Amino acid sequence: MSVSSPVLEAVGALKVFPGVTALDRASFALGQGEVHALVGENGAGKSTLIKVLTGVYRLDEGEIRYRGERVEFSNPLEAQRAGISTIYQEVNLVPQMSVARNLFLGREPRGRFGLIDFARMRERASEILRGYGVRADVRRPLGSLGLGAQQMVALARAVQADARVVIMDEPTSSLEPREVDKLFRTIAELKAQGRSVIYVSHRMEELYRICDRVTVLRDGRLVHTGPLAELERLRLISLMLGRDLAEVAAEGLTKFSGQHHSHAAPILQATGLRHRHVLDDVSLAVRPGEIVGLAGLLGSGRSETAKAIAGALPLDSGEVVVAGERVPGGSVAAAIRAGINLLPEDRKAEGIVPTLSVRENIVLAALPRLARAGIVSEGDVDRVVQKFMRRLRIKAAGPGQRVSELSGGNQQKVLLARWLAMNPKVLLLDEPTRGIDVGAKAEVQALIDELAGDGLAVLLISSDLEELVEGSDRVVVLRDGAVAGELDGAGVTEDKIMAAIAGDNDD
Amino acid sequence: MSLFSGRRARAAALLAAAVLVASGCAKSEDTAASPAPGGSEAQQQVVKTPSGPAGAGCTIAQHGATKFDLKTGVVGFSQSEKEANPFRIAETQSIKDEAAKLGIANLKVTNAQSQFSKQISDVQQLIAQGAQLLVIAPLNSDGWEPVLQQAAAKKVPIITIDRKINAKHCTDYLTFIGSDFVEQGRRAADQMIKALDGKGKVAILLGAPGNNVTTERTQGFKEQIAAKAPDIEITFEQTGEFAREKGQQVTEQLIQSNPDIDGIYAENDEMALGAVTALKGAGKKAGDVKIVSIDGTRGAVQGIVDGWIYGVIESNPRFGALAFETAQKFLDGESIPEKVIIADREYDESNAEGSLSQAY
Amino acid sequence: MTDTALRQGAPDRTRVITWLQDYGVYAAVAALLLFNAAFTPHFLAVDNFRTQLVQVTPIVIVALGMALVIGTEGIDLSVGSVMALAASVVALYLGYGALPAIAMAVLAGALVGAAGGTLVAVVGVQPIVATLALLVGVRGLANVFLPQLKEFTNPTLVALGSDSVAGVPIVVIVAVVLTAAVAFLVKRTTFGRQLVAVGGNRAASRLSGLPVRRVLMTVYILSGMLAAVAGVLATSRLQASDPTSLGLFMELSAITAVVVGGTPLTGGRIRVLGTVMGALLMQLLQATLIKHNLPQSWTQMAQAVIILAAVYAARERR
Repeated sequence: MSVSSPVLEAVGALKVFPGVTALDRASFALGQGEVHALVGENGAGKSTLIKVLTGVYRLDEGEIRYRGERVEFSNPLEAQRAGISTIYQEVNLVPQMSVARNLFLGREPRGRFGLIDFARMRERASEILRGYGVRADVRRPLGSLGLGAQQMVALARAVQADARVVIMDEPTSSLEPREVDKLFRTIAELKAQGRSVIYVSHRMEELYRICDRVTVLRDGRLVHTGPLAELERLRLISLMLGRDLAEVAAEGLTKFSGQHHSHAAPILQATGLRHRHVLDDVSLAVRPGEIVGLAGLLGSGRSETAKAIAGALPLDSGEVVVAGERVPGGSVAAAIRAGINLLPEDRKAEGIVPTLSVRENIVLAALPRLARAGIVSEGDVDRVVQKFMRRLRIKAAGPGQRVSELSGGNQQKVLLARWLAMNPKVLLLDEPTRGIDVGAKAEVQALIDELAGDGLAVLLISSDLEELVEGSDRVVVLRDGAVAGELDGAGVTEDKIMAAIAGDNDD
Repeated sequence: MSLFSGRRARAAALLAAAVLVASGCAKSEDTAASPAPGGSEAQQQVVKTPSGPAGAGCTIAQHGATKFDLKTGVVGFSQSEKEANPFRIAETQSIKDEAAKLGIANLKVTNAQSQFSKQISDVQQLIAQGAQLLVIAPLNSDGWEPVLQQAAAKKVPIITIDRKINAKHCTDYLTFIGSDFVEQGRRAADQMIKALDGKGKVAILLGAPGNNVTTERTQGFKEQIAAKAPDIEITFEQTGEFAREKGQQVTEQLIQSNPDIDGIYAENDEMALGAVTALKGAGKKAGDVKIVSIDGTRGAVQGIVDGWIYGVIESNPRFGALAFETAQKFLDGESIPEKVIIADREYDESNAEGSLSQAY
Repeated sequence: MTDTALRQGAPDRTRVITWLQDYGVYAAVAALLLFNAAFTPHFLAVDNFRTQLVQVTPIVIVALGMALVIGTEGIDLSVGSVMALAASVVALYLGYGALPAIAMAVLAGALVGAAGGTLVAVVGVQPIVATLALLVGVRGLANVFLPQLKEFTNPTLVALGSDSVAGVPIVVIVAVVLTAAVAFLVKRTTFGRQLVAVGGNRAASRLSGLPVRRVLMTVYILSGMLAAVAGVLATSRLQASDPTSLGLFMELSAITAVVVGGTPLTGGRIRVLGTVMGALLMQLLQATLIKHNLPQSWTQMAQAVIILAAVYAARERR
C-alpha cells in the first residue's frame, strides 16, 4: 500500500465545507519519479485534495508532509516556491499579458538594476515553447492563443519552475491529439528526471498509457491505491462508481443504446451555412428522434456550426429551417422560439450563471413561460425545478444552492435541464460530457439517448470518438469549415471518422 | 472608429431636441421674490483703508509698467468660479458694467469654472492677447508663479479682487482689493452679541474646509466673542460647505441634539437660508433662534425682513468701480497701497427693508 | 448555517466573512443605534428618527437605481447630475403646476438613462466611461436650463418636501414605496431575474435567449428615473432648485450604500434591503459624528473604514 519514501503525502486529511465533508480522513502518498493517477467521480474529493496539497485550502484535521516534513502552505504561491506546480483544468494564467510574460510570471529573467530583461525573456520563451510544439508570437497576449496552446503554455510554465511535483488536473481536456502526445512525452521526461506527477483525468485510455500507480477516491474517502497495470479497467470503473463489476460490464462503457431508426422527415434542416473564414457551405439535417454526430478537429467549425444554427453566430448566407419554417438568422431568441436549444461548449463562460442558484439557472431561459404579466410564478418554477432535478438526478444540497458550488457534471445537468424546460424540438449539444467524471458522463449519455427516444432531434458534438460512434445514428464530419463526409448506419466507426477527418476518404 | 455611428449621431440629435423642447415651452413659477439683478449703481464699494502701511505704496515708476489709456488699452478680467451664485454674478456684472460706463472698449473676460489650471491658462492667454492690465478674482492664493513671471516680464500690473495672491507686492502684483474676512467675523459676532444680549449658546455653520474665507470668518467671530461676551458659549461647529442643502441638513441634526441652542452663525447666506428651512421644518418660529450670516445676498436680506434672520454682514462683490479707479490712479502716477480694504455694510431689521433693492 | 457547520465547532474564517457580508450592515446599524441611544442626548426622540430618515431619502432612492445597474455589472455615475437636471427642470416647468413639473423632471431622468443605456447596450461603451460623460454633460445641461439657485413657493411642491401623513414624512413614504417596488422587481419579476443573470454571465444570458440589450437599457432608464425622483424630493425639501450643488458626489454615496449593503460590484447579485441599510449606516454615522460635534474629516475616515471592510468581505467571499 505505501510508497517507500513519498515526496508528497496527505495523512488522515479531513476537510469539511458547509453541508459537505469533502475529504473524510483520506490519505494519499506520491512516490518519487512516479506518475500517479488520481481518479474518482465528481464530488469524490479530487479537487479538494489537490487544493489541500497546494495550499489553497487548509485541512481541518490531518497533515500534509512534503519531503518527509510536515508543511502548511498558506497559499499556492508558497507551495509553488517549495516545488509543487499545478496545472488546472481551466487555464489560470493572465490572458491579457503576453505569452512570454505568462511563461515567466514571477520569475522573469532580470537584467541590470533588477529590471526585466524583455529581450532575453522573449527569446527563451519562444525557444521553450517550440519544444512544446507551440509556434506563436510570444509578445502577443496569451488570450489570443487557442485553448490548447494556452494549456501548453501553462504546462511549460509549470515544468519550467523547478518543480519536484507537477499536478495536472484534466490537462488534456482542451488539447488536440498532437498536443496530447507532446504532453505525454513531457510527462515521460519529467519522470526520467525523477520528478513526480499527479495526473487527474477521466479518460481511461490516457491513465493506462502513462500512469504507474492509481489512487481512487469516493465520497471523500480513499477506496483504493496501488499499481495501475494490475487493475483491470472495468474493476477501476467499478471502484470509482462503487458499483458492481458485472453491472458495469453489462452496460458497456458508454451509456448509449445505439440506434434509433427514424424515417420521419428532418425537423432541422440547415442549408448552405456560410460565415467568412469559419463556415463554408455547411448543410445538415436531423430527423426527430435521431442523434447526428458532428465530428472534426478543433477549429473545423463544429462549434460554429452549432452556434450558427442557434442564432448566436450571424450568417453571411444560408438558412435554417425547423419543422418547415424558416428561422430568422442571427437571433438566439428567434431560434429558441423555433425550438432550437444550444448547450454551449464552454460551460463556465457561456453556460452557468455562477452567482445564481441551481433553481434560477434551470429556469433562466424558461422564465417568460413561467410568469404571468412579467411576474414569476414561484409555484410553477418550483414544479419545473423539482421535475428536472429529479429526472436528471442533479446532486445539490437543494434548489437554492449556488450553481458554482456544484461539480462539473451536475452543472452540465443543470444546463441540460435549462433547455429541457423549454420543451425543445432540436438540441445542439456541444461537448456535453467534456470535463465531467465517469459516472456523470454515463448519466448524461443515457439521458441524451432517452431524449432521442422521446423524439427529440439531437446534434451531438464531441471530440470523444467512442462517444460519437456509440451515440450517433449518423455522423457528419467537418474539415476546415466544410462538410468532409457523412457516415451512416454500420459505416459509423472510429476508423472511418478519423479517415474523413484526415481527408483520405475513399467512400 | 465607428464611435460616431449613425446611432450616436441620432442620440446627440435627440438630446439637442430635448434641450430645445425643454427650454422652448418652459414656464417657470412667477415669484415676486425672485431676485432681479441689482443695478450696479446700488451699492458701490467704499474704500475703508485707502492707504496701507506708510511707505508701502507702489507707483507706476516703481512697478515699471508703461502708461496707457484705459479706454483704448486691453484689459483682462479672469473670473474664478462659474457665475452660478449671486456673489460671482454680481462681481462679473460689476466689472463689465463699470468698464462700459468708463468706455473701456477692450475688456476681455474669462471664467475658469472653478478649475485652477484653467484659470492659469486663461490668464496666460489674456497676457498673450496683449492685456495691459489684469483684474483677477483668484480661485487659489498659491500656485501663481508661472503667470506672475510672464506678467512681470511684460510689466503688466495685476489687481486681485476678493481673494489674495501670495506673492510680492509691487513686483508681482499691484494691489489686492477686498474685504477683511476676519473683520467680517468680528462684526458678525457683534451682531450676535447684540441679538443674544451677551448670553447664550451659539452654533457655527462653517464654510468649506481648507478655505481662507472659512478660517478668517471663524477666527474673527471667535476672537470677538471671547473678548466681548464670555457668557456666550460656542457649543457646536460643523461644516455646511457654503451650500444651502448642507446647511439645512446640519441644522436639522443640530436642533435635534441641541434643542437649547440660541443662535446660529452661518459663514455665508446660503447656509443661513438652509438653516431657516430646517428651523421652519422643525416647527420653530421666526426669531426663536437668532441667525447671523455674512454676504448680503438679497435672499438673506429678505430673511431679515421676514424676521428669520437677525443680521447680515455684507461682503460686497461690486469691485468694478473701485478696481478701475485704483487702476486709473496708478496710471496717473499715484502710489497704490498693498491692500485696499473695502468697507462692508451691514443689514439688520432697522435697514433691511429699505436696502432690499440694493442687495445683490 | 448547517448542522455540520455547528458540529464542526471551529469558527471557519470564510463563514465569518460570509456572515459579515450578509448581515454585517444590519449589525453595524444596530450597533450605531445602541451607541447613540446610550451616549447621544435626545437621540431616542421621534423627531430625530424622522430627521435621519428624511435626510437619507435621496441617497436611498438613488442607491436603489444604482443597485440595479451594479447588478448588471455596470455602474451609473450620472445620478448626481440627473438630480441637478431634475431640480432645474422642475423649476423650469413649475408654472404649469407641481405635477406636470415633476413628470417632466422624471421624463428628463428617463431620457438621460436612455442615453446612457444606448451607449452601454447598443454602442458598447464601458458603463463607467459612458456615464462619466453624462456626469459632466448633464450637470452642464442643468446649469444651462437654470444658471443659479432659484427659490419657489409652489404649495404642492413645498408640501411634498415638508408634510407628513400620519406622522411619517411624505418623502419617507415615497422612499419606502420605491424600495418595496424595486425589491418586488428584483425578486418576483422576470425582468429582475434576467437582470441578475445578465450581470452574472452576459454570454450565458445571450445564449439563453435573454433580451440582454433591453434589460440593460431598462436598467439605466430606471436608474435615471429614480435619480430624478430623488432630485425632485431633495429640491422640494430645500424649497429651492439648486442645479449647481444639488447631487454633487451623490454617485459616490450611492455606490457606497450599495457596496456596504453587500451587493458585489461584479454584478449578478442585488441586495435591496442591504442597500437601504447601507445608506442608513452612512447617514447614522454622519449624524453621530455631527451630533457629537466631531470634525467632518472623522466622518470621512470612518466611512473609508466601512467601505474597506465591505469590499474586503466581498473579495474574500469569492
